[in-house]
Amino acid sequence: MSTNLVLIIALPLLGAFLLPVLMRSSMAIALWSGPAILIYGCWIIADLWLSGFAQPLSVAIGGFAPPLGINLYVDSLALLFAFAVQLLGLVFWPFTLDQESARRQSLMLLLVAASTGLALSGDLFNLYVFYELAAVATFGLASASGSGAAYVATLRYLILSGIGSVLTLFGIALIYSQTGTLNLAHLAQLAPEQLHNSLGLTAFLAILIGIGVKAELFPVNTWVPEIYATASTRLSAFLAGLLSKLALLIILRLLLLIFHQPEAAQVILILGILGVISGELAAWRAREMKRMLAFSSIGQLGMIFIAMALPDGKGMLAVLALSLHHLIIKSGLFMLAEDWGGALERLRGSAKASPLGAVLFVLFSLSLVGMPPLPGFWAKFVLITELAAQVEPLYLLGLAVFLLATVVEASYLFRVAATLYGSPAQDTLSEEIPKTKGLSLLTASLFGAGVIAVALLIAPVGDGLQAIAAQALDVDLYITTVSPAVSGGSQ
Amino acid sequence: MGSLTGLLFAGGLGFMLLAVASGLDFGAPPMLIGTEIQAHAPQQTGAANIVTSVVLGYRAIDTLGELSILFASAVSAGLVLGRRHTTAGTQTKGGFILQSGGSLLFPLMMTIGFYIIFHGHLTPGGGFQGGVILAAAFFLPLLARPGARLHHKSLSLIEGFAGASFILIGLFAMLEGKAFLQPMLIQDTLGQLVSAGTLPLLYLAVGLKVGAELASLLSRLIQTEAPQ
Repeated sequence: MSTNLVLIIALPLLGAFLLPVLMRSSMAIALWSGPAILIYGCWIIADLWLSGFAQPLSVAIGGFAPPLGINLYVDSLALLFAFAVQLLGLVFWPFTLDQESARRQSLMLLLVAASTGLALSGDLFNLYVFYELAAVATFGLASASGSGAAYVATLRYLILSGIGSVLTLFGIALIYSQTGTLNLAHLAQLAPEQLHNSLGLTAFLAILIGIGVKAELFPVNTWVPEIYATASTRLSAFLAGLLSKLALLIILRLLLLIFHQPEAAQVILILGILGVISGELAAWRAREMKRMLAFSSIGQLGMIFIAMALPDGKGMLAVLALSLHHLIIKSGLFMLAEDWGGALERLRGSAKASPLGAVLFVLFSLSLVGMPPLPGFWAKFVLITELAAQVEPLYLLGLAVFLLATVVEASYLFRVAATLYGSPAQDTLSEEIPKTKGLSLLTASLFGAGVIAVALLIAPVGDGLQAIAAQALDVDLYITTVSPAVSGGSQ
Repeated sequence: MGSLTGLLFAGGLGFMLLAVASGLDFGAPPMLIGTEIQAHAPQQTGAANIVTSVVLGYRAIDTLGELSILFASAVSAGLVLGRRHTTAGTQTKGGFILQSGGSLLFPLMMTIGFYIIFHGHLTPGGGFQGGVILAAAFFLPLLARPGARLHHKSLSLIEGFAGASFILIGLFAMLEGKAFLQPMLIQDTLGQLVSAGTLPLLYLAVGLKVGAELASLLSRLIQTEAPQ
């Protein structure tokens, strides 16, 4: 049963390799093979979950027991994100029918396989390989729209991503040179002796900045607005909603398992605060829907970084709630932006033309700001209570920035809402008002339904998240799951 | 301003690297996993080349990932380059010596490429290195006769099926009740050409995929770079 789990990485890769060939012989098979693989992936995970998944699993690849071989570590947190990857891959599937569709769908399958690997892998270098694969697939998909602006944005992203990769690799090499192992569980055992020093901190910083490129961490997020504004909306939604969270998940795991040092948390806290300030202020100034969403995404991820910096894993629940909340909301908002791209002024009076789209926008905005019955309120509430319980001034600064950011957020989101419901300017004809329509509106409605469902079922969802957080925090459980026989030092 | 920031960043990074390097103990790496693998690799994978046993045995999924990265970059390049229309064929051909030299070298380079792939489990080398030499063999006729076209359809067939067979070999192990990509069919013939079970097959898949990918990438570049 659990060995089937490796299929959710292997089958998308297989599909990606074969799609260009299949496309030549039979269009129909090729068109449906991608979605079929993703549906099967969802089914495997759902099946595992429903058949009484309680204890985390470790799946050794190649039959070599870790730490010699590579293993997948499957706890409920990893499984949740793996499921989200397969599901969102399906939701954001590039259903286009042009000459490039085989290539685009291949890249999407590669991106899904890499993202699943990022969620599951229990080996530091293997994570890096999947991270690279996700990056390269993203370059192709981001430049696929073919406009000059998209090429420029992708080139910038490529350079920044390359620097990030080198830094990450440097950090991994430092860790390996100190410990002689790459397995996360093995490293978790060795870390207290060998990595809780300045060298370990350097390695952590290098990896943090490197992986932070994808997690939209403060100094290395300059690619975000350009890419989200020029790439296809579906890709932007996948990147902002999911891939950033997976990068975050890696940093979170490393922080919990290996770099359990106060200095590491402090760096994350400072970068998170700076990210919130810069992101929200830039979003406030943005005059274009997609750019505004991109900057707001930077701000939201900054908030998650603040939550991550809370000592002793107190922020775990907040990280989880904020991440999932942002995943749903930002995906939905990006789907609305598919038809509402361009200058915000153009949208004046759109609510009349597309009432459902406008209602959804208000719903997402309210949840993002944190209106009480909606899930966003509970996610933010958890973080505020944890932050307020801290005594260190830096955390209180984080709290102040967080509250201020919420006000700024409300200001720019409701400005857009007011534009939507305002009366159209006299000189524009009604045909010029952009409408939300078709598939993107349907997808956005799905996410809207998700938000309302979570709002109604907030108690069971909260309990579930609490259990997932508790399991993810248990370092001893991680170590004993991966290598039951190992006790202490080597082997 | 931007260049000053860049300079400061590079300087700071350099200083950090120096500081870190001074604290490292060179020449005495901790061989925690290393000794373990050195002791058990020949029995567990049947490959005389320990590097191969790591690349295709212990860390086979990393290799699969790297293969996918190469594939992703080739596909991305195809997406970017495929838009312009080709006017290839207008360039002048190479001279007699270049053309005959190319034709003469082609079979030799193919032989070396396949030799390196097939001996990957015995000697240094393997699928990636051999695949690059195979691709280089195809570069020669392309460079000598710029008008010549590679057969894209068959190249992409090789590319697709080579990549797929790597995964299918892994899945075959799962069918037999073992783990994904577990080395199979290990004979007791360490050091022979026919040894190490499925590892040489994996390397053949890697070599063909790398060769086909690079060859088609170059031919695409030549077609795109032609004067317009």
